[in-house]
Amino acid sequence: MKLRKVLRIARWEVTKNAGGVDKKTVAVAAVALLVAGLVAPYAASQGIALDRGIYRVGVTEESPYYQVVADDPTFVAREPSEDALEAGRIDVLIEPGEPPDAASSAKGDAALAELRSTVDDYNDQQMRKETNQSAAFPIAVTLRYVERENVQEVLDPGATGGTDTDDESDESDGETGTDTSGSDDGSSDGSGDGTGDETEAGDGTGQSGDGDTAAGGGGGNVGGLAGSLASGNASGTPADISPPFPFQSLVLAFLFVLPLNFIIQAYGSTMLSERLNRRGELLLVSPVTRFDIIGGKTLPYFGAAITMAALIGAGLQFPDISPLSVGISVLAITPIALLFLAATFVGAMFARSFKELTFVTVTVTVSLTTYAFVPAIFTDVGAVALISPLTIVVRDLQGQAVTLGEFTFSTLPPTLTAGVLFALGAGIYREEDMFTQRSIPLKTLDALAARVHGKWSVAAVSAILLPFVFVAELVGVAMLFAIPEALSIPAILVIVVVVEEIAKSLHIYAGYAHSRFEAGLKPALVVGAFSGAGFFVGEKFTLLAQLVGLPEQVVVGQAALATGTGAGSPSIPVVIAFLLAPLVLHVVTAAISAVGASRDRESYVLAVVLAMIIHFGYNFTVVSASGAI
Amino acid sequence: MIEVRDLRKEYGGFTAVSGSSFTVDSGEVFGIIGPNGAGKTTTLKMLAGLLEPTDGTVSVAGYDAGDSEMRRRLGFLPEESPLYEEMTPLSYLHFFADLYDVPEDVAEERIHETLDQLDLEHRDRQLGDMSKGMKRKVAISRSLINDPDVLIYDEPASGLDPLTTNYVIDFTSRLSDEGKTIVFSAHNLYHVESICDRVAIMNEGDIVAQGGLAELREEHGETEYHVYTTVEVPGSVQENGRYHRIVDSMDDVETTREAAQDAGGSVVDIRTEESSLEEVFLDLADPEVEA
Repeated sequence: MKLRKVLRIARWEVTKNAGGVDKKTVAVAAVALLVAGLVAPYAASQGIALDRGIYRVGVTEESPYYQVVADDPTFVAREPSEDALEAGRIDVLIEPGEPPDAASSAKGDAALAELRSTVDDYNDQQMRKETNQSAAFPIAVTLRYVERENVQEVLDPGATGGTDTDDESDESDGETGTDTSGSDDGSSDGSGDGTGDETEAGDGTGQSGDGDTAAGGGGGNVGGLAGSLASGNASGTPADISPPFPFQSLVLAFLFVLPLNFIIQAYGSTMLSERLNRRGELLLVSPVTRFDIIGGKTLPYFGAAITMAALIGAGLQFPDISPLSVGISVLAITPIALLFLAATFVGAMFARSFKELTFVTVTVTVSLTTYAFVPAIFTDVGAVALISPLTIVVRDLQGQAVTLGEFTFSTLPPTLTAGVLFALGAGIYREEDMFTQRSIPLKTLDALAARVHGKWSVAAVSAILLPFVFVAELVGVAMLFAIPEALSIPAILVIVVVVEEIAKSLHIYAGYAHSRFEAGLKPALVVGAFSGAGFFVGEKFTLLAQLVGLPEQVVVGQAALATGTGAGSPSIPVVIAFLLAPLVLHVVTAAISAVGASRDRESYVLAVVLAMIIHFGYNFTVVSASGAI
Repeated sequence: MIEVRDLRKEYGGFTAVSGSSFTVDSGEVFGIIGPNGAGKTTTLKMLAGLLEPTDGTVSVAGYDAGDSEMRRRLGFLPEESPLYEEMTPLSYLHFFADLYDVPEDVAEERIHETLDQLDLEHRDRQLGDMSKGMKRKVAISRSLINDPDVLIYDEPASGLDPLTTNYVIDFTSRLSDEGKTIVFSAHNLYHVESICDRVAIMNEGDIVAQGGLAELREEHGETEYHVYTTVEVPGSVQENGRYHRIVDSMDDVETTREAAQDAGGSVVDIRTEESSLEEVFLDLADPEVEA
C-alpha cells in the first residue's frame, strides 16, 4: 500500500462526493452548522425553558416568595389581588402572612404544585450557601457505591450465602456510614481527608467535600458541558438520595456512537456503488493496488469519525479542554470506528443492491452499537464494562484512571477484528468477485475461500479469526452477565461452542466449495487437524481477558473465556493435560466438521452440530469441575 | 508487444478460455471476434491484468499482466462506460491523470486535446446528465490519459448510434496511425475488417483461427469462380441471356470452358469472389450455419 496513492484516492473520494452537492447547499449547511455550533453551548448553559412564564403568581416584592418566583422562569410575578385570582389573570396569589392560594382551576393546582417544588429547591440552595454546612445539614449521609464483584451475590444472596453477603448487598446499594457532603460516582473508595467544615459522625470515614456530585450516580470529575449531565448535588435532603443510574455513562456512550451510525451509511453507499455497474473496474485496472483503493476510500470516513470523536470529546469538556483527555478519547474510539467501517465494508462487498445494503448496515448498526454501547453503560460497575472501548472514553471523561492493561483489553480485540474484516473484504475486492451477483452466504464463502489455499492457510485463518471469536464471546458475556448463573452459564456455553465451531470450520467448507482441497477422508482429517491446531494457538489470545481480571470478576466470563484451565496448584501431568486437552478438543471437533464439509452442505451442517455437542460437553465438564456451576 | 501463451481461465467448473496463444506486434491492430460467450472479454481482461489467469502467461510490453508498470502503459476501455456520474468529465479525467502520475499541466493539455479530438462539449456537466455517446467519449479519453503504448478496447462502439460508432471507429483507426498497439473486440465485423491488421476468431473459449485477413480467407474461406458462357453447360443456369456456373477451382473453370467450346459456345466472363470475414467467422463459429 502506498500512502501517496491512498491520499490521492481519499482526496478524490471527498471531492467526488462533494460534486453531488451544489454550492448553495454547501453554503446553507455550513451556515446551519455554524449557527448550531454557536447556539448549542448557549442553549445548554441557559437551559431550555419551553414553559417560560406559563404560571402567573401575584406576589409583592417584599414577600419572601418574590425571589423564588423571580428566579424560576416558569413563573412570572404579577401584582397580587383577589380580583385578579378570581378573574383568572393570575394562577397563584401570595399575600403576607397567608399561605399561597391557587386559582380554582387545574392550572391553578399545577401552578401551586410547581411553586412548592420550586420553594423546596430554593430552600436547599439557600442552605448550601451557608458557611456552616454542619448547621445547615446537621445529619449527613455518605453515599458510597462499590463495584459489584459478582452480580450473582446481589441477585441470589443464598447462592453464596450468609449475612456477610447481605451486608455487601446493602453496601452495594449505597448508604453506608455517615459523613458530610456526599460522595460522587461511587467508584472511589470513599475514604480520605474531609475538607471544609465536615462533621464526623458514625464510622467517621472522611469524605471530600468538594461538592462535586451526590446521589444520582455517575457524576465523576467531568466538567464543562458533560458536567451538566451529572445530576444531584453535594448536599441536600434525604429526598435527594436515589439509587445510582448510569445516566452520564449512557449519554456519553450514546454521543460517541451516534455519529458512527451516520458515517457508515455514506461509507457503505460509496463502497457498494463501486460494485454496481462495474464502476470500480477502472480503478482496479489503474496502477494502484486494491489496498490503495480500499484505504483511500475508507480514509475520509475514518477521518470523519475520528474528527467527530475529537469534537465531541472537546465539546464535552468545553471550556476546560484537555488535549490529553481528548487524545485518549480519540485513541479509544478508533477501534470502534474501524470496526464499524470494516463491518460495513464487508457488508458492502457482500450486498447485491442498496436494498440489501440497507439490511446489512442496519444489522451492523444494531450489532456494533450493542457491542459498544451496552457495556459502556456499566462503566461504574466493573470489568465487564471494559469489553467496550467506549468505557475507556467514558472513564477518561469522568476523570477516572485507565491502566494500560485495561486500554489494551478494550481496544485490541475490536482493532484486530476490524483488521480481519477488512482482510476478508479485501479478499473479494477484485474483478471476478466484486461484480458477481451472488447471495450473501455465497459471498461469505468466496471471501473465506480467497484466504484458503492449503492446510497451513487453514490453520492461519483459524488463528486469525480469533479476535472475531473473542469479540463475539465478549458481547455474549456483556449481554448475559446480569442474569442468574443458572441461565447465563449454559447460554454462554452454547454461544461459545457455536461461535468457535463455526469459526474453525466455515473456511474449510468454503475451501471445499471452491475445490481448494483434495476429496477424501484423509485430506479432510488433515485439514481439520490444522484448523483445530491453528485455533488452539490463536486461542491464547483470550488470555488478554486476564489483563482486567474479567474471568475472576464475572462468573459468566469465566465460563466463556477460561475453559480448559485449571485452578489451584495442580501437578505437572495435570498441567500438561490441561494444556493439551483443548488442543485435542479443537483438533477432533474441527476434523469432524472437515469430514462433513468434504462431502456436501447437509453433511457439513450435521458434522458441525456433532462437533458443537462434543465441544459443549467438554466445556460443561470443565466449567462444572472449576466450580463455576 | 503482447505475448499470450496457453492462456486459460476457469470459473468453478466452467472454462471461459481454454489455452489461447497469440502475439501482437508493436503498432499492430489485433481484433478478437467471436459469438457471445466465446471468451473475448475474459481474454481482454486477463490482458489488462483485471483477471488472474488460471493457467498460462500474459506479457504486455515486457511486463507480466497486472504489473504496476504494465498498467501504467496500458489504456483499457471496458464494454460499458462505468463512470462516476457525480463528477464532471474534467474532474473525472483529472482524477485518473492523478492516479497515473501524469503531471498537472500535462494532464490539463492532454485532456483538452483529447476531448477536442472527440468533439466533446459540456465538459463541466455532470457525467450522469450526459448521453451514452458522450459518456463513451469520456471513457475513451480516460483510456488515453496516460498516453499508453497499448490499448485494449472491448466493444468500443457497443450500443452507440451509427454516427457515433463511425466516429469512435475512425478515432481508433487514427490512434493506430499514431503507432498505438491496439487489441479490440467487436461484433461488427465490418469495423474489424476496416481497421484490423490481424484477427483471432474465438469460439467456446478457444481461438479457432487467427492471422491476417487474407490469410484467414485463404485458409478458412472459399473462393468462388463465376463463369459466364454463351451456351448451356452442365450445372449452369440461364441469366440475362447468358449461362452462369459457379465453381470452386480453376480446374472446374477449365472444364467449363472446354464444355462450352464443345457445345459451340465460349466463355464470355469469369469473376472471382472471396469469402468475407463474416462468412469465415460464421463458418468457424458455427459450421452448421450456412453463411
